[in-house]
Amino acid sequence: MDKLTRREFLRLSALTAGATVLAACAPQPAPTTAPTALPAATKAAATAAPTTAAATVAPTTAPAAAYPIVKEPLTLTYWVPATPNVMATLKTFGEMTCYKELEKKTGIRLEFQHPPMGQDTEQFNLVVASGKFPDIIERDWTTAPGGPAKYIKDGIILRLNDLIKQHAPNLNKVLADRPEWKRMIATDEGDIYCFPFLRSDPYLQTFAGLTLRGDWLDKLGLKVPTTIDEWRDVLVAFKTKDPNGNGKADEIGFNPWKDNSARGSFNMYAFVGAWGIGMNWFQDKGVVKYGPLQPEFKEFLKVMAQWFKEGLIDPDYITTNLAGLDAKITGNQIGVAMINTGSGIGKYVPLMQPKDPKFKLTAAPYPVLKAGDKPQLGQRDNAYAGQGSAAITTANKRVVETVKLLDYAYGAEGHILFNFGVEGLTYKMENGYPRYTDEITKNPQKLPMNQAMGKHFRSVFNGPFLQDRRYMEQYSALPEQQEAIKTWMQPSNEKQLPPITPTQEESRKFSTIMAEVTTRYDEAFNKILQGQLPIDAWDQFAKDIKQMGIDDAIKIQQAALDRYNKRP
Amino acid sequence: MATAQRVRSSVAAQSQLNFRQRLVKDFVRNRYIYLMLVPVVAYYVVFHYGPMYGALMAFQDFNVTKGIWGSPWIGFENFTTFFNSVYFTRLIRNTLAINIIELFFAFPAPIILALLLNEITSPAFKRTVQTITYLPHFVSLVVVIGMMVDFLARDGLVNNLIGAVGVAPIPFLQRADWYWWLFVGSGIWQGIGWGSIVYLAAITNIDPTLYEAATVDGANRWHQLRHITIPSIMPTIIIFLILRIGSMMSVGYEKTILMYNSMTYETADVINSYVYRKGVLNADYGFSAAVGLFNSVINFGLLLIANRLSKRVSEMGLF
Repeated sequence: MDKLTRREFLRLSALTAGATVLAACAPQPAPTTAPTALPAATKAAATAAPTTAAATVAPTTAPAAAYPIVKEPLTLTYWVPATPNVMATLKTFGEMTCYKELEKKTGIRLEFQHPPMGQDTEQFNLVVASGKFPDIIERDWTTAPGGPAKYIKDGIILRLNDLIKQHAPNLNKVLADRPEWKRMIATDEGDIYCFPFLRSDPYLQTFAGLTLRGDWLDKLGLKVPTTIDEWRDVLVAFKTKDPNGNGKADEIGFNPWKDNSARGSFNMYAFVGAWGIGMNWFQDKGVVKYGPLQPEFKEFLKVMAQWFKEGLIDPDYITTNLAGLDAKITGNQIGVAMINTGSGIGKYVPLMQPKDPKFKLTAAPYPVLKAGDKPQLGQRDNAYAGQGSAAITTANKRVVETVKLLDYAYGAEGHILFNFGVEGLTYKMENGYPRYTDEITKNPQKLPMNQAMGKHFRSVFNGPFLQDRRYMEQYSALPEQQEAIKTWMQPSNEKQLPPITPTQEESRKFSTIMAEVTTRYDEAFNKILQGQLPIDAWDQFAKDIKQMGIDDAIKIQQAALDRYNKRP
Repeated sequence: MATAQRVRSSVAAQSQLNFRQRLVKDFVRNRYIYLMLVPVVAYYVVFHYGPMYGALMAFQDFNVTKGIWGSPWIGFENFTTFFNSVYFTRLIRNTLAINIIELFFAFPAPIILALLLNEITSPAFKRTVQTITYLPHFVSLVVVIGMMVDFLARDGLVNNLIGAVGVAPIPFLQRADWYWWLFVGSGIWQGIGWGSIVYLAAITNIDPTLYEAATVDGANRWHQLRHITIPSIMPTIIIFLILRIGSMMSVGYEKTILMYNSMTYETADVINSYVYRKGVLNADYGFSAAVGLFNSVINFGLLLIANRLSKRVSEMGLF
């Protein structure tokens, strides 16, 4: 097929815009705990076909809750970073169906404050520095400068343990049923600081991986690569055998761009996982390790530098951005990239297949070194990855009501409201399975699915509630997407870290060290990969970061992991 | 005018009284004038001198909730952290290099443009050129950098042009050796028209009789430029030069963080972008205050030196 013209591309991408569909809920390859036994019902759901009615972890409303919460009208202020999923159509979260319903139900109006997109951290720091806190602050508290414990100690947010016990029957029940979640959302001291966003099913925690042009593989008679050697062969074939059939050698094997990270998709275990190490922190049976200091890392980097030299990696990956990646994928130039199920496969397939029925994206398993090995590491978030978690500030004058309000989302009704919206409008109950209506799946205003969802409820990104597996079953309804999730879920990921947090004293030291190390790391990694520095420069880099105090940082992480493992 | 004369004569008449008496008398006599001064003084006190106590943060492990009076004092620790940083020398080098290149190329550019514009006889053409050259000033920095990324990409406009004459594509934005020039060059493109306005205004203020007299004496356009126009706008140039030297230690972080990437850190990372990463994103306010204070002290020193030199050489200065 022909390349898309720029105008066509713009038009198409406007339709599927929501560039950050899942990006909003999928930024970091967060480490995870070993999967724990799921309730039997959920296990059944995990194997059931999407259409099967499946009881999920949706908790039942515990008896103590009574609505409306207040008799007099009450307005609370709510600070939360905006997301393109919602902002594409609405001005504030307050216009979302779920919050309008919530107000009807509870009698409490929420007045939302959104920082300008992309300035979340800066604006959050400003809110904290100003001393004028809103009633509720929702953000990723694990990445808040200084860590969550600091904000309780500094008297900015409240310790919620007792409040949840007394006034939040629904969340209380969830945490009682799943103690491993309780461990994740508390600090080392056992303080609960937020109403968390929880991906209630492993199926929801994996959403990114290496994806190939399946039609190119078919055309060249290749099979999906598993080992690093096979990957190289495929990339060479992509580059040299003109799979896009335009007679020009304009194909690029692999573009590592991902979410504007300086180390791209490598940071999310692309290829590096084959050597059994991560790009950053990981653990080996309770011992914390820093990826770049492992002997395997140099081997990995050597192979990548070789690929770059052979032209198998896009030489412009550093200056690529999302629009650039879109253009190269839809322009039939890139053979391999790490993309997300929703915002990647879910975007390109509907965009390209009408023009080129052969267009196919195939998810590849995370690579290994030796044929037959099982992939060890891949992208998978923890059930609690941090984002979308609401904390109550010390400025809040109506704490009990706020707790009750936030607790609503963890009850049966609230769970459905935040995941599926309102019956009849956005979903229909079919044999106990909430099926999205055409308002969501074939939006009359031609909104892409993520934006149609964003107008009504929050399951498409994150927020203080339990994400429901049945959302993803319908959001990733394409067979490619279903296949991809299954393929990418293969790695055992035992080496990933749980959500550990340094203490407040360690935090300052840790961030000082890591701020220095990260700059040098980004620099050395990319320069060696691109051949501007020889591979032996890596030894110098290792020496440099030792001088910057990486050993102290490792000790801090180790101590944090030890504390985490001892959490009640 | 009359008021000023009255003030002066009254001061002279009171010179035999002591200072306090003179002050009181002066206040009484010129009370309305002093009243008019109040808002200006208040503005400076409230918005410029008042916040200066915040510089104390530089000597603290500043904690937002404890505030300036509650945060622990740590002496010069923030400063030593900065000076001992592995990146310190290269931050200083990059900051100074970019500023020196700007001083040599970006500073004279609007002056030259103003002089050239002044020589244009067709007013319509002059206005068109002026409008076109100062339009980029209104383009958002984000857009400017976006355009640069597009134009300078491997398959972008610039590489297509130089490709036509057989030069292999250069990944400009990924090359550390190109960074300073691209940074300053794009700055000139964006700022040249806007910057020339003030010089054009200075040129308009030149007494036309000077040119008439010169013409009578047989001076051509070149002579007029050298001996009338440039000397007449020299005070403006000097003042801007001194102010420019006073900001030798600053490079805007906005443009830097939009333009740099890990391949160009080596030449791109400047003090302000480092502070942004460390201070603003990591909420390490004490540290940013320390670096800011260090910068201000050096900038202030440079300003004094430039002013002194200028006074000695050209008898012109800010103060």
